[in-house]
Amino acid sequence: MEQGLSPDGPGHGSDLFGPDPGSDPLAYYTPPDSEADIFTGAAPEIARQWRSFASGLAGQCNCDLASMQTYLDRHVEDLGLAFRHTGDEQERAWPLNPMPVIIGSAEWQNIGQGLVQRAELLEAVIADLYGPQRLVSEGHLPAAVVSGSAHFGRRLVGMKPPGGHFLHVYAVDLARGPKGEWRVLADRVRLPTGIGYALENRLALGRSTGGLLASIGTRRQAGFFEALRQGIAVNCERADPRMALFTPGRFNQSYPEQALLARHLGIALVEGRDLTVREGKLFARTIAGLKRIDALWRWMGTRDIDPLNFDSRSQIGVPNLIDAAGKGLVIANWPGVGVVESRAMPAFLPRLARSILGEPLQLPNAATWWCGGAKERAFVRDNFENLVISSAFRQPVTGLADGHSRPGSSFSNEERAELERGMSMRPMDYTAQEVVSLSTTPALADGRFEPRGFTLRAFLARNENGEWVLLQGGFARVSETGDLRTSLMGYGDISSDLCIIDPEVSGPQPAQPRLEPPQVRREQGLLPSQAADNLYWLGRYGERAHQTVRIIRTLVEQVAVAGEGTGGITAVTRLANLLRSLGAAPKESTKWQPTRLAATALSDTNQPGSVRALGEQASAIALRLRDRLTRDSWRAIQRTMPRYTPGDLESMTGACDRLVERFAALSKLLSEGLSRGPSWSFLEMGICLERGSMILQSARIMVPGSASAEDLSALLDLVDGQSLYRSRYVSMPYIAPVFDMVLLDPAQPRGFAYQLVQIEEHLNGLPVLRDDGLPETPVRLVRQLRARVEGLDAADIDSEAIDMLGQQLSRLSDAISRRYFLQEDAPLSKGKATLLG
Amino acid sequence: MIYSVRHATRVTYSAPVVRAQFNLRLVPSIWKGQTIRKQHLGFKPVPDLREDYYGPYCVNRTHITFGGSLSQFEFLSEFEVEIEALADPGEGPAIAEVGAEALEQRDLSPLSPAPYLFASRIAGTDEEIDRWASDHLPLDAGIARSASVLMGAIHRDFTYKPGSTDSATSPSEAFSRREGVCQDFAHVMIIALRSHGIPAAYASGYLRTLPPPGKPKLVGADAMHAWVNVWCGKELGWIGFDPTNNCLARLDHIQIGMGRDYADVAPIDGTFIGSAPQDMKTAVDVIEV
Repeated sequence: MEQGLSPDGPGHGSDLFGPDPGSDPLAYYTPPDSEADIFTGAAPEIARQWRSFASGLAGQCNCDLASMQTYLDRHVEDLGLAFRHTGDEQERAWPLNPMPVIIGSAEWQNIGQGLVQRAELLEAVIADLYGPQRLVSEGHLPAAVVSGSAHFGRRLVGMKPPGGHFLHVYAVDLARGPKGEWRVLADRVRLPTGIGYALENRLALGRSTGGLLASIGTRRQAGFFEALRQGIAVNCERADPRMALFTPGRFNQSYPEQALLARHLGIALVEGRDLTVREGKLFARTIAGLKRIDALWRWMGTRDIDPLNFDSRSQIGVPNLIDAAGKGLVIANWPGVGVVESRAMPAFLPRLARSILGEPLQLPNAATWWCGGAKERAFVRDNFENLVISSAFRQPVTGLADGHSRPGSSFSNEERAELERGMSMRPMDYTAQEVVSLSTTPALADGRFEPRGFTLRAFLARNENGEWVLLQGGFARVSETGDLRTSLMGYGDISSDLCIIDPEVSGPQPAQPRLEPPQVRREQGLLPSQAADNLYWLGRYGERAHQTVRIIRTLVEQVAVAGEGTGGITAVTRLANLLRSLGAAPKESTKWQPTRLAATALSDTNQPGSVRALGEQASAIALRLRDRLTRDSWRAIQRTMPRYTPGDLESMTGACDRLVERFAALSKLLSEGLSRGPSWSFLEMGICLERGSMILQSARIMVPGSASAEDLSALLDLVDGQSLYRSRYVSMPYIAPVFDMVLLDPAQPRGFAYQLVQIEEHLNGLPVLRDDGLPETPVRLVRQLRARVEGLDAADIDSEAIDMLGQQLSRLSDAISRRYFLQEDAPLSKGKATLLG
Repeated sequence: MIYSVRHATRVTYSAPVVRAQFNLRLVPSIWKGQTIRKQHLGFKPVPDLREDYYGPYCVNRTHITFGGSLSQFEFLSEFEVEIEALADPGEGPAIAEVGAEALEQRDLSPLSPAPYLFASRIAGTDEEIDRWASDHLPLDAGIARSASVLMGAIHRDFTYKPGSTDSATSPSEAFSRREGVCQDFAHVMIIALRSHGIPAAYASGYLRTLPPPGKPKLVGADAMHAWVNVWCGKELGWIGFDPTNNCLARLDHIQIGMGRDYADVAPIDGTFIGSAPQDMKTAVDVIEV
């Protein structure tokens, strides 16, 4: 990918006819106000790197910048980057602009100092509000600014986090003003949303632009996440603590990001039902029993984290989590810190900085007035047209029905009267802010660079010494118009990477933070029971889909080969019965044309056993395993069904062939993406169990009574055993030899007996809970089943014998579920009170 | 006035549940005009763990844990309380004044007005309640008088109908149907007051079982009762208004706790594993000693 793209100095690419847009695509970039543009307003040595990057991009795609976007989009898709807007059913692809926002390291360091000061200030405010509350009793902060926040957790007053830090991670939105000055727009201490996207943006951009990032002297982001991890770990009681990322679950807007972060940090992604508090300690339910958790990276609102201490209706929290927090559990960030996020708080921060830190804010926030004060209210009334009016605590309030901010100038007379009515009754619900005008940045749109308004999100974390470190990067939100103050990405917004550069590329590189190599690990921390459950069922659904395709393919082939022949009809009828019994075709399909039935079994999502329905099930489960699957497996699962012409035998066989290949490739990808530990075992056990079950069901339906050669041959097809049979017997299929191969021969990898051997091997490798040396129930059951199979004679196998094996197999599956998954503990009900009269 | 209070409840599960944990809010918290004696809260079976806390609102919380499986449990709360009648509040300061004063208090404690100024989970905002109430709450009128008028309006316009609502019914729904029980009336009144910037809290407690001679029996006397505490300015502080009985909470009301809404003072909530339908039998006796 190295292409030697960096230009060799000023004047590069220009000739008698002016600059060549190919080598200097920014030459004709003209923002409305050049000082208020981050590129045109940049110092010469920084601006040079902007041009260098832009021409590098142009060079890479032969001056067709529009194709660059397509190229980058593909990388974004490959990374599996996705997000949701609130209310989205499906995840969306993450919109990333190829042109980063570039800031010199000296300027970034200045910003960083201001942000560290602000982080310290917020920490002090939070510590006071959950401690002595002197800021309130001494009149520095009105009580209503605290109690008005839905994030103020009164239950936590008087509690101190282990290690003393309320904040470990801090995200902050910044705006560059028209004169190049920076302002804080919003503090984010509850959820550092975007931190994972910053990481992935860099990865996507790095992959698609080769050495361009390095050529302009971009600082690497390495070290930040390790600092974050160590900063949390150092506060834990145990020396080698176990950490987990605590997620609200896969329906959460930023679940993809949470999964990505968990994987990046190598920590388990856990939901409330994976966790339990016993005697004041937090444990994860894992396949190896309860495992203690020392620290949680919390991505869930305080209100939901503990139904016994906060909202008793929460179904996603952990009862008594707060008690564990009082006894040494580290939670980052500490619950309740969101109290400083209200829109009212910035009104007080400049004064609090002076009274707490004894110095002014280095980095101002947008000037803010809280209307709970009489003077402020009067000011807002007098300057209404020039201010942005907000709901102080982000709730819907009279005059701002959706809780969103609006410029005062946008109110009609009636709207303003309504707002004033609300303000006269509940002034504490309102704030006003100065209007912050945003700088522009060159963004790629339709193959050209266009000026677009932008904001930045920066991220800070505490390291092991408790000091704040700033991520050398971040991400920029670029918007055509719109309000850039929503949580992550508004509709139509795009993101850009934020590059912090050392302009003297040839000079000495800045010292990278010294990195301790991570502790060598072989498994991804621990395997929560729920993840094991999901892996098992991913294996089962994937395999069932795979086997169903094989049945459909055999059916289509039988129709093609045998046409109207009587023998063929029998086999076709039995295959159709099999598909019906698997739920792939409806009961009323007995009179259908076989091809119609095959098409239904392939693609009709109304049939729970159709290939498409099973595939969708598998991908829904995969979504919950996002942190454990490789990108390749992830992509393979998301692939859509191949097209075919219903009724056209050749096209249907082709589609089946492709699906069989695809499912085979998928199970290989899945299997290879997991290290050979318990995760892999659960996936494989799911596959083996399902395969065994499908073989039994096929044998049961294909063979009863007098099976024709076609029937038996179809059964052999299902287990991929045609050629093996012919090499062994050189004759047409007979019942006993076929049964021996399909059911009893432990050396036939698609046969039933072989699945049992595999399952037993996997079970033997799993952690044992019993300490009396006796085998656990699943092991006992699989051994019984094997013994029974070994004792069978192929000539004696009848329907009852097959049914018996089927029952034992489903008992085995139940035993695996009971032993390793959540069965007994799962549903959490709440006591409902009806004591009132 | 001295009362003896006895509150017995039996909870039965149709199938045993495990890892049951409950919060009970039955031990009376400190309240002006009330002196508590001989207070006791007992359980059968005896829980494996019992912890008592005060807060985070004006409420005592008893947290109990049963380690084994549980198919039935009983609790019995008993205490004696002496009640001193508070003075008649009169008109009270103007509503606008009360609102301004509430914002000036440098206090976040459970008794301060600040925690009760804002919408809470159950007592959220509701534009219709807001509009309906605004006639009764002109900003220049006296707070105690206006709160009484509002209380009277609820008493007049709403039908008391046990069983018409349960703990999951929202105040907005009860409001639109104009019916409910004490809990619904209290929530509607709280929402109305808060929308006008007045700190208002949910009070839970008991009523005397038998009326004073010559008076009718109070509604809601056979179970726990709910009413509204209104912060009437720094001088008057909290005053109880009972919209179910259209009277001030003075000599006949025994307060257990005060929170933003029902959820903060719910007599019992908790978690357990098992999804059994359950039966809860309660007997409350409040006898004048």
